[in-house]
Amino acid sequence: MTTNLFFQQVANGLAIGSVYAIFALGYTLIFSILGIINFAHGAVFTLGAYFTFTLTGTAFGFNGLLAQQKLPFSLWFPLALLGGALLAGLISVIIERLAFRPLRRRGADSLLTLVSSLGLAVAIVNIIQFLVGAEAYSYPSSALNDILTPFLFLFPDGKVPLALRVPLTEPPIIVRMVQVVIFATSIFILIALTYLINGTKVGKAMRAVAEDATTSSLLGISTDRLIQFTFFLSGFVGGIAGVLVGMSVGITGPYFGIAFGLKGLAVIVLGGLGSIPGAVLGGLVIGLGEALVPAEYIGYKDAVAFAVLFIVLLIRPQGLLGRVFIQKV
Amino acid sequence: MQIKRLLSLAALLGLASLSIVAVVAQEATETPTIEPPTPFDCKEGVELKGEPIKIGIAVAQTSNVALLGQEQVIGAQIAGEFFNNCGGINGRPIQLVFQDTAGDEAGAINAFQTVIADGVVGIVGPTLSQQAFASDPIANDAGVPVMAPSNTARGIPQIGRYISRISAPVAIVAPNAVAAALDLNPDIKNVAVFYAQNDAFASSETVTFQETVNKLGLNLATVQTFQTTDTDFSAQISNALALDPQLVIISGLAADGGNLVKQLREFGYEGLIVGGNGLNTANIFPVCQALCDGIIIAQAYSYANESPINQTFREIYKEAQGKEPPQFSAQAFAAVQVFVEALIALDNEVGLDTLELAELRTRLNDTLLNMTYDTPLGPVGFVSEGEADGEIIQGQFYVAQIQMNEDGQTGSFVFIR
Amino acid sequence: MDFFSTYGFLIVSMLFQAMLGLSLYIPLMTGQLSLASPGFYALGGYIAAILSTTVFLPEGGGKWESGTFPIIYVLIETVLAGLASALLALLIGFPSLRLRGIYLALATIAFVEIVRVLSLNLEITGKAIGIFGVPQPFINKFDYVVLALPLLIASAWFVYRLERSRVGRAFTALREDELAAAAMGVNPTTNKVLAFVLGAVLAGMVGAISAHFLNTWNARQGTFDVSILVLAYVIIGGSRTFLGPILGGLLLTALPEVLRAIAGIQGLPLFLSQFLLDGRLIIYGLLIVVAPLFYPQGLITPDLFKRRAVKTKEAGA
Repeated sequence: MTTNLFFQQVANGLAIGSVYAIFALGYTLIFSILGIINFAHGAVFTLGAYFTFTLTGTAFGFNGLLAQQKLPFSLWFPLALLGGALLAGLISVIIERLAFRPLRRRGADSLLTLVSSLGLAVAIVNIIQFLVGAEAYSYPSSALNDILTPFLFLFPDGKVPLALRVPLTEPPIIVRMVQVVIFATSIFILIALTYLINGTKVGKAMRAVAEDATTSSLLGISTDRLIQFTFFLSGFVGGIAGVLVGMSVGITGPYFGIAFGLKGLAVIVLGGLGSIPGAVLGGLVIGLGEALVPAEYIGYKDAVAFAVLFIVLLIRPQGLLGRVFIQKV
Repeated sequence: MQIKRLLSLAALLGLASLSIVAVVAQEATETPTIEPPTPFDCKEGVELKGEPIKIGIAVAQTSNVALLGQEQVIGAQIAGEFFNNCGGINGRPIQLVFQDTAGDEAGAINAFQTVIADGVVGIVGPTLSQQAFASDPIANDAGVPVMAPSNTARGIPQIGRYISRISAPVAIVAPNAVAAALDLNPDIKNVAVFYAQNDAFASSETVTFQETVNKLGLNLATVQTFQTTDTDFSAQISNALALDPQLVIISGLAADGGNLVKQLREFGYEGLIVGGNGLNTANIFPVCQALCDGIIIAQAYSYANESPINQTFREIYKEAQGKEPPQFSAQAFAAVQVFVEALIALDNEVGLDTLELAELRTRLNDTLLNMTYDTPLGPVGFVSEGEADGEIIQGQFYVAQIQMNEDGQTGSFVFIR
Repeated sequence: MDFFSTYGFLIVSMLFQAMLGLSLYIPLMTGQLSLASPGFYALGGYIAAILSTTVFLPEGGGKWESGTFPIIYVLIETVLAGLASALLALLIGFPSLRLRGIYLALATIAFVEIVRVLSLNLEITGKAIGIFGVPQPFINKFDYVVLALPLLIASAWFVYRLERSRVGRAFTALREDELAAAAMGVNPTTNKVLAFVLGAVLAGMVGAISAHFLNTWNARQGTFDVSILVLAYVIIGGSRTFLGPILGGLLLTALPEVLRAIAGIQGLPLFLSQFLLDGRLIIYGLLIVVAPLFYPQGLITPDLFKRRAVKTKEAGA
């Protein structure tokens, strides 16, 4: 591998890693509070992307129950993004009510919630297909320009290029603009969530619930509302992630987000379950690991990512940034 | 049982499979020709009566291959209505029995057994070659003819006497596309090949592409693989672009292929791109949008084919779906058409009423192998004897270039070869 | 007879899936959430598919006629698949079993994924297309019941005896409280590895027969999705008695097909049968959500038997 290719692949690794990270942020948030895996997160991510598509006022394709339907209005893309993410948050709250709260009340095994969230994911994916078909959808090509409106002055003639050329090496390192946006957004979400959890009253309550739900409810914290808020936040972040990744690669069908489920799980476990910086770090490490597979062995790319994961787990069983806690099984 | 023997056999297996590929490719170059078919004779206004004749359509209506299955369902539905409007089987209606195979092997077997039990005379399906290897032996043992609408892996017609396919293996069409690229740019030296390693369609096709590149004396600079579920291809693209290719050849499906093209362009690749058969669908437009422009596509079906049956099919499809028909829909239509025409011929010959279901299925299989058809895919026939019976003989293949419209959302396939 | 030719495949699939459920249940007896079963299932399938298409050829070469492949060969493949799975499980069991809970689950998923990627890349496993034309010992799929049913009964009986043996009690002790169990002289490592290996052997054997049963074998057989599905068998069925995963495997495998059959009933309103067909996975998913609400411990719990045992006693007295 030449130096130039090496640096290019590092950039690629960070770019794809930030996609994994942004997916994993909402995923890990729920684990950090409830200690459970929400398999429906991929479906929420997908829904965020579809909701935003709907809000842009574009018509659906010719298949499914909603064939050729469209909203009577159309929102400016950044507003559609916000709306889509809010709706995804709402769905996430509903998921909590349907699949998580009743089980929590019954004191069910945490594996059971995992399975029932999986059931919801299956249902959501198939509902999407039933409503709008299996085809791919894409956002208007102006989407990237629209969400970068405050930064347009940075670019000559006010038009965002598709890729950035970083002249560190010759030929320059190329990074797709939408990946830069995803990277920046994941760092921003990371900072915002860290502040929320460590610097605000709500965050303090969230940590208390994470530590011990029963005690904190005795102390007057409304556990249910706090958990609901966490789910909303997770869905909101997941929705934004879905839209951004949708801008990058198109909404590739109802399985759009589910396809990230396995990698997302790997990312949050590698980073350390429930650790928010861990989700970003885990994402970037796996992204880099994949990008740096030599060209001849590219067919083993996915195996390399998981082999790295396996080895890291053997050395640090709690993940990179996970807390060690003595567990009585 | 000696381990050594096993190991050496394992090594042999590898060699053997390579040599089989070579043999198949060689055979394919000597294309057998077929009698020119008579165009389908539509008898409009015939009142349909009698017990419907059932044809099973077992494709993936759910799971992550549903995008392909969805197109097949549409194609088959159009065929069902069209042929009933044209008088059915000499006045008897046909009835399509749809069963979802989902994306897995067990699902394909379940769907096949359900339609077989339902009394269908033949089955169109399944969607994936891997599924076909699971479900086709069941139909073959039950003596039910199968017309595979989209199984292109080697070995499908060889499963048995009752298994045929309407989907051409890509041995002929792939070289044409590379030749077309060379016409557009005679200075091509380095070629980078990409393929979806988890897809049977793509991994068979890429073998042909790679052989063509070598045969034409071009430099096969690198072969990069991906998965159909991937969405980011930057690592593969950077690997390839470091070798300065003038031609990129992609074997994959719509979503992954479209994203690969989009990202290649965003990474500044300006050379020609040849897309395999799996990219022969308007479904890639929403994925790569304006950047789809200029892709050279190897086609087993072109909507521009001027035969009346294709233009009729194209009109009905556009009416229902608002876009040009994709290959998967046309192949499903053609598969139903083969059954219908063979049933009519069989009815004319002996009368369908006189046959028990089992005999009807067998006679139908024999009849369909020995006829030729004027389908939307062009004139097709089948190898009727020997190990490879049921292999499609297709007269026309096309190479087209994608031309995107100003809006960057819609486009068309412009015929070039 | 028609019933068996249509549903024979489904019935036998249900038995196989029940065994996969058991193979995940055995490590769970020691409290380990291992999702490695599909990896061993894939391995077993490849062993059978490769042997039967390259080594166990008929005299004088050529292909086996459908239904003529000697069952003894299938049994040999099954034993070999079990042995190979045991070896591999030993190899990865020792290092990975110091992980717990979801970390162990993920390490085992990593194993499954590595097996999948390897089989997509290797020539011997046939890459994407896989291995096809796996010879058939039976003409009817239902006839596989003569292999599947005894294997299920034997493995269920084995687990039943295991639960009541010294080793089984050690397993339970580890699940309930590893520290306490270790203090009482139960060796955690040996017992956990043993449970892991037993689960792997069962999965490998099921894979070997399944390769024949499905006619073909490819990289799509052992995947993350299968891991999660098999986990659902155990959790929905009940994770505290061996009957749970068996029932879960039987039910969840049958469910989509039952919905398909209901859709086919004559006289249903068109929109309903259409929804049952197109939306049967929506219903399937929602049932998985609803079931735990009514059966938070799974469909079958050990209490169920205790209560019955008490009742019988009362009746006897």
